[in-house]
Amino acid sequence: MTTTTVAARQPPRRSLGGLPRMIALRLLTIPLVLWALATLVFVALRLLPGSPATSLAGGGSTDQSAAQLTANAAEISANLGLDKSLPQQYLIYLRDLVTGDFGSSYFGGNDVLGLIGNALPATIELTVAAMLIAVVLGGVTGLWAALRKDTWVDTTTRAAATVTFSLPWFALGVLGIVVFGVWLGWLPVIGRVPNQLSYQPLTNFVLVDAMLQDRPELIWPWIQHLILPASTLALSTAGFITRIVRASVLEVLGDDFVRTAQMKGLDENQVVRRHVLRNASLPIITVLGLQFGTLLGGSTVTETVFSYPGVGVLLVDAVLQRDYPVVQGAALAIALLFTLVNAAVDILYLVLDPRLGES
Amino acid sequence: MSETVLSIRDLKVEFDVPSGRLPAVNGVSLDLRAGELLALVGESGSGKSALTMGLTGLNRGPRTHISGTADYRGTDLVAASRKQLQTIRGADIAVVFQDALAALNPVQRVGKQVAEMIRQHQKISRADALTKAQTLLGDVGIPNPQQSARAYPHQLSGGMRQRVMIAIALANDPGVLIADEPTTALDVTIQAQVLALLKRMQAEHGSAIVLITHDLGVVAEVADRIAVMYAGRIVEVGTRDEVLNSPQHPYTIGLLNSMPRIDGPRPRRLAAIKGSPLSGVKRPDGCAFAARCEFVHDACAERPELAQRTAEPDHLDACFLPAEAKSAALRAGAA
Repeated sequence: MTTTTVAARQPPRRSLGGLPRMIALRLLTIPLVLWALATLVFVALRLLPGSPATSLAGGGSTDQSAAQLTANAAEISANLGLDKSLPQQYLIYLRDLVTGDFGSSYFGGNDVLGLIGNALPATIELTVAAMLIAVVLGGVTGLWAALRKDTWVDTTTRAAATVTFSLPWFALGVLGIVVFGVWLGWLPVIGRVPNQLSYQPLTNFVLVDAMLQDRPELIWPWIQHLILPASTLALSTAGFITRIVRASVLEVLGDDFVRTAQMKGLDENQVVRRHVLRNASLPIITVLGLQFGTLLGGSTVTETVFSYPGVGVLLVDAVLQRDYPVVQGAALAIALLFTLVNAAVDILYLVLDPRLGES
Repeated sequence: MSETVLSIRDLKVEFDVPSGRLPAVNGVSLDLRAGELLALVGESGSGKSALTMGLTGLNRGPRTHISGTADYRGTDLVAASRKQLQTIRGADIAVVFQDALAALNPVQRVGKQVAEMIRQHQKISRADALTKAQTLLGDVGIPNPQQSARAYPHQLSGGMRQRVMIAIALANDPGVLIADEPTTALDVTIQAQVLALLKRMQAEHGSAIVLITHDLGVVAEVADRIAVMYAGRIVEVGTRDEVLNSPQHPYTIGLLNSMPRIDGPRPRRLAAIKGSPLSGVKRPDGCAFAARCEFVHDACAERPELAQRTAEPDHLDACFLPAEAKSAALRAGAA
């Protein structure tokens, strides 16, 4: 009798059949998200007071009459296609986007794709480095606090996590610059790679380029430049991860299968390594994906503080100048990065938890 | 008489609670004989689980205080170090938990979970352990063991999961197997199958089984001996027939009388033991059951020790009352 029940519940077909389909469905949502975001940015930009035409028409000279200014602005508007109706502009924007044309900057005429290609790798380096620091720091302290629950280790760690979690990036950044850059003089505080090294970007990922161009001397200065901004960015996320990891590990430690593992004769390390970590990682990974978005947001502040040539700085400058194509391109690039990371997180989740991917 | 595998003397397990120290197990002495199935019966909170978890050290912690001795083949489990306990757990003493779905790791294939138990205590390759695990899964009645070993716990039915749990527990032929209400979460037909399996495994693996239950029907079916617990103490212990047919302690009598019977006249309502079990940190000096006992008298102000009070040398109970008075009560309850 039980044989029939079990035969109907045999695992392999069910579990493996659903997974690729679910991953494909998950990936299909990415273009939709990007389209929605492109639309949102397009509308938001045009709702902002001020137009690129007036800031271009001003051109720095103060001796133009108001009439001249208006005439200039109108001419510039026409040249840029900004005199067309909003729906028309939107359709043209979408058409260009689909054909891979991101336009060029209103200020200087640089190709937007080229600008992003230069800035995005720097931002990826910064956020990935920050993420690594945050995960290692938050993971270790969170696990430690959970395993030493209600001792001074736990209390101290939690207090420290709350403090770092509450510190704003700009304050941390300035503090880091003053202490480690100015007082102690241990670390560089500006830029990405020193000029005198005459770095010739190829992929613009310094690590990749150092290997491709066989220039290992680039790596150490690059890491030195990364330490302060990445740590600044990482610290608050690390505090957050500490709390999530602690809570998550504590919850799993209370689960019955942990007692089963102890019943088997496993020692504490084995129990944690083989049974607790993977189960506790499930909620943590989701949080990491979302925190990556916070890091991207924080990178705009951090990049500005450290004059770090990433997408954040590009975006901030472009918004101030109402440089529509650059804002739209940079926002889209950041959004693409974020959605890709979260899709990867969701897929990882499906792979890590066999209970999903079936229903 | 077969040898004793586990000899418990004056075991106490106490938990720190906000109102003081709760004596969950309050001085238990009990011998477990090799290869027997001992049913540990009692209502919720009587200390059954605290007793067995105290033996395996699984409830050790800053808020738990264990005293007394529990001699397992020359090792005192109470005094044993954490390291010693780790080598004993899984190899010599294993536990089948109540809720197998929760007790199995949800993100690990069941075959691997059985194999882990084998590899923890035997020098054996990963592949051999997995093969052995599949054999074990087959032994406990799981169909297509090769394929089922690749299943995750949620993909199996409740009965199958409990069989996996039993396979894990028996993987190293432990001297003592503690089954902590293994059938409570299962429906009745599956319960019978799992009990039959435990009984078969008892014979095949030679493990002594402590079956924790509050279900006297289960007990009547499979137990060799029965120990009845009340308020952290054992109030009666004997062979199955002794305890079921001539119960000596008023609590045992009450339990049996409160069971509905298929034979005999249908009672208008089920007999119940009046009052409620002790739950707080305060325990009376005398018999813990006195407050609920219909035979209570002056002697009960003193604590009755568990001792032989009938002609049967194995039948012990902790009640001062002469046997005749109680058997009259039993007849009255059954009528």
